[in-house]
Amino acid sequence: MEVVDIRPLLAPLLSLFCGILVFAVGERTWWRRFWSLSAAVVKLALVYSMLPGVLDGKIYSYSLIEFTPGIGLAFRVDALGMFFAIVSSSLWLITTVYAIGYMEQEHERARFFGFFALCVSTTVGIAFAENLLTLFLFYEMLTICTYPLVVHEETPEAMKAGRKYLVYTLLGGVFVLLGCAVTFQWAGTLSLSTAGILPASVGKQGLSLLFAAFVIGFGVKAAIMPLHGWLPSAMVAPAPVSALLHAVAVVKAGAFGIMRVVFCVFGVELLRDLGITVWLAALASVTIVLASIIAMTQDNFKRRLAYSTISQLSYIVLGVALLTPLAALGAIVHIANQAFQKITMFFVAGAIQRTTGRTNIHELGGIGYQMPFTMGAFTVAALGFIGVPLTAGFITKWYLSLGAMEAENGWVFVVVLITSSILNAGYWLPVVYMAFFKVPPGTHLHIKEAHWTLLIPTLICAVYVILLGSFAEVPGMPLSLARTAVEFFFGL
Amino acid sequence: MSYSAILPAVVLLPMFGAGLVVPLSKVSNRARAMGITIVVGITTALVALLIPGVLNGEVYEQRLFQMTPTIWMSLRVDALGELFAITAGLLWLLALVFSFGYMADEERTNRYFAFLMLALTWTLGVALAGNLLSFLVFYELFSILTYPLVVHEQTPEAMAAGTKYIIYIIIGGGLVLLAIMGTYFLAGAQEFGGSAFLTAELDRTSLLAVFWCFIAGFGVKAALMPLHGWVPDAHPAAPAPFSAVLSGIMVAAGSFGILRVLFYVYGIELLKELGVAMPLSWIAAFTILAAAILAIPQDNLKRRLAYSTISQMGYVIFGASLLSVSSITGSLVHIANHAFMKGTLFFCAGILIKRAGIHNVSEMAGIAKRHPITMGVFTLTSLSMIGTPPLSGFTSKWYLGIGILDAEQPWYLVILLGGALLAAVYLLPIVYAAYFKEPAPIVRDLPEIEGRLEAPATMLGVVLVGAAITIILGIFAWAPGLPLSLAKLAAETLP
Repeated sequence: MEVVDIRPLLAPLLSLFCGILVFAVGERTWWRRFWSLSAAVVKLALVYSMLPGVLDGKIYSYSLIEFTPGIGLAFRVDALGMFFAIVSSSLWLITTVYAIGYMEQEHERARFFGFFALCVSTTVGIAFAENLLTLFLFYEMLTICTYPLVVHEETPEAMKAGRKYLVYTLLGGVFVLLGCAVTFQWAGTLSLSTAGILPASVGKQGLSLLFAAFVIGFGVKAAIMPLHGWLPSAMVAPAPVSALLHAVAVVKAGAFGIMRVVFCVFGVELLRDLGITVWLAALASVTIVLASIIAMTQDNFKRRLAYSTISQLSYIVLGVALLTPLAALGAIVHIANQAFQKITMFFVAGAIQRTTGRTNIHELGGIGYQMPFTMGAFTVAALGFIGVPLTAGFITKWYLSLGAMEAENGWVFVVVLITSSILNAGYWLPVVYMAFFKVPPGTHLHIKEAHWTLLIPTLICAVYVILLGSFAEVPGMPLSLARTAVEFFFGL
Repeated sequence: MSYSAILPAVVLLPMFGAGLVVPLSKVSNRARAMGITIVVGITTALVALLIPGVLNGEVYEQRLFQMTPTIWMSLRVDALGELFAITAGLLWLLALVFSFGYMADEERTNRYFAFLMLALTWTLGVALAGNLLSFLVFYELFSILTYPLVVHEQTPEAMAAGTKYIIYIIIGGGLVLLAIMGTYFLAGAQEFGGSAFLTAELDRTSLLAVFWCFIAGFGVKAALMPLHGWVPDAHPAAPAPFSAVLSGIMVAAGSFGILRVLFYVYGIELLKELGVAMPLSWIAAFTILAAAILAIPQDNLKRRLAYSTISQMGYVIFGASLLSVSSITGSLVHIANHAFMKGTLFFCAGILIKRAGIHNVSEMAGIAKRHPITMGVFTLTSLSMIGTPPLSGFTSKWYLGIGILDAEQPWYLVILLGGALLAAVYLLPIVYAAYFKEPAPIVRDLPEIEGRLEAPATMLGVVLVGAAITIILGIFAWAPGLPLSLAKLAAETLP
């Protein structure tokens, strides 16, 4: 049931407004905090106010302007968009609190928090975009708004990483734009409101090329190998930005874009007939395993996290590419699961860096005796990535694997997933081992935790990792939204 | 009143106890000891309370929360689960009390006790899990969250053993997960206790693949050769009371998983049709003999006992794979009998380590004079392990033997008796040396024990209780409520 409602527009607009106010208040700390938090809270409230309706099957939409017939800016809240919006805006609030604590001593805080709030606005725009053009617009805006955050430190290294980031993502954007234009040519519309708009009559070759263009375009942000180069370099950014890149917005925007292309532009039926997604699944599998293996060799904490993200993102791509309902469910819900797990780890990495100045894993011996709660949270997230039952990661692994079994020759992908979870154990458990068991002689429990603004968000996220895993079936949890979305896309 | 409602409490009580460890330790070590002993005592009592009902054929079930649209986290008590749960509860109580003496001069005791309590929660969960997914949840948590206990000493050897342990266990866990997902894919969500999950109509290749995945996955934990690598390293490295639990319960959890798979997932009919029981029994037979032979040259006492565990767990799988009621009874009752026997042997080893500094068999010559009670119990338990009547080890062997004859495989008796003979070869020389050999230099140099007990009363008490259980489970094996009655019932009521 479609309902015309202004809230889908207000959600990005109000946080955009708050973001501008953050710039306006400049260096006045109290007001800057106020407007930063307002942006996050207002958006969260607006998004949550639509949740009951969406769960009931309502679809909120709002058309802003139409440039020419069929091309315009419009917003629409369906289950998938709602899912992405809820995850990103919930995490946004938590990250903002963390960032306020983390950036205490930093320079240029007005610029930082201003762009931080703008990112919030663009992400929700991506989530609620009704057509490919709106999606593309916000997708590009996200690139631009995150650039000042990536180069925040303004060191030569940061500037270089920023350049790399821009080159990769803007080039990706070109491919998306190309895809949009061709899609409009062939389908006569850019709408994302149905399960597939492209006609099969175009021909296999053309559709395959179009699909490849979209995959390259969105695949840059989703960090599918070999398009992942920017992500490990962007690790020079401050920890909250990394959290934003890896968990909340940027990489997820890429994965979300691929979902929209697969489910809404092509549609499951058409892609099954084309049979090209098996290549995407293969590419994702290679990325999953290869990135994990590279992660094992990284000593820098945040670089290891970066390669882990590349590997985990491909879980989502793999789940989408398998084109079975359960795999799609696993993929969608992994947006939330990966986000909470990864953000916990970034918060931990940031807290350790701020409190002790250590950035490499080999320096972490005995850190658990100094920051037991932080490292406890890390342990929960690590178990999540391994996919231990009752953590979020297990839900993903379960549905993805069951979905893979439904696909043709799917057991190959099940083996990939299980291998990956063993590899995850291989690079995350050593960190736990360093923290709690590889203790320099004479270490005693001497608690000196990070500041509460850093610790509390970390703990909240860790608790969520367990809640998402244990109570996935409780109505209102992300899984229920993901299921609604899957039922729509697969016509169940 | 229905006892079903107490099932969640049974499983969660030890977790609650784990939460008490740190606060109570702020009061005193004594308060901590009292507090968690009471919690484990209550838990075990609650488990025991279920026995009469289970023997009457009642089945208690309780759903906890929903995992997927068709699968609930659920707890269920049947005879097999009850057998494992009560064994675990009692052995835990013994290990806990023993720990107070053993851990008195160790560091990081809070961590040790907290994780020991948590491990009981996972174990009871494994025993009482109502379906495969619930089983997996507890099994995985059990596997991973016992790591801090394995490496407790944090010596280089312990750390190496811990790393080996976690690698084996995680790969095994991956295989189990693969097999469980295969089962759900083939057969959908089903609870233990109905008919067997899988049927012969399903694709034969898939059935075989899933079966061997299960065996390989659980086989890592159950120490089926050649997947046993972690066992001989982990046991000497861990603190003795945890070694007792490790051997008695943890390795048995793998065997328990295999039993659930054999009888509840596949069912006897399907196993016969697939023809997989025979190769499994060969693997088990190989394990029994090879591990026993490997045990003989081991000088480290706990390592020798670890190989003995591998061999004895082979009996459990061996009995189960013969698929006759008596052999299955023998296999099930051997889980309980072995747990208490091996637990007691490790407790004895723990006393020798703490009170005499003795780790190796070669240092034990003449030790009986200084530690008469410990070595007396060690002797008695060794005899039981070999299968001397009327001790508990004999009961298991007796039923296994009858089962072999029922299954019309008489030459398998060679393996049964060969294993017993080899057990005599690796255990009795220890006893002989302790009593009859000239004292080893290390024993000669030990200070005299004058007018005091050879070990703290709690440690000695636990060892004596262990000996008593070994005798009771042998002489009064028939008594209702003891493991044999549960094992018989379980074997007769398999789906």
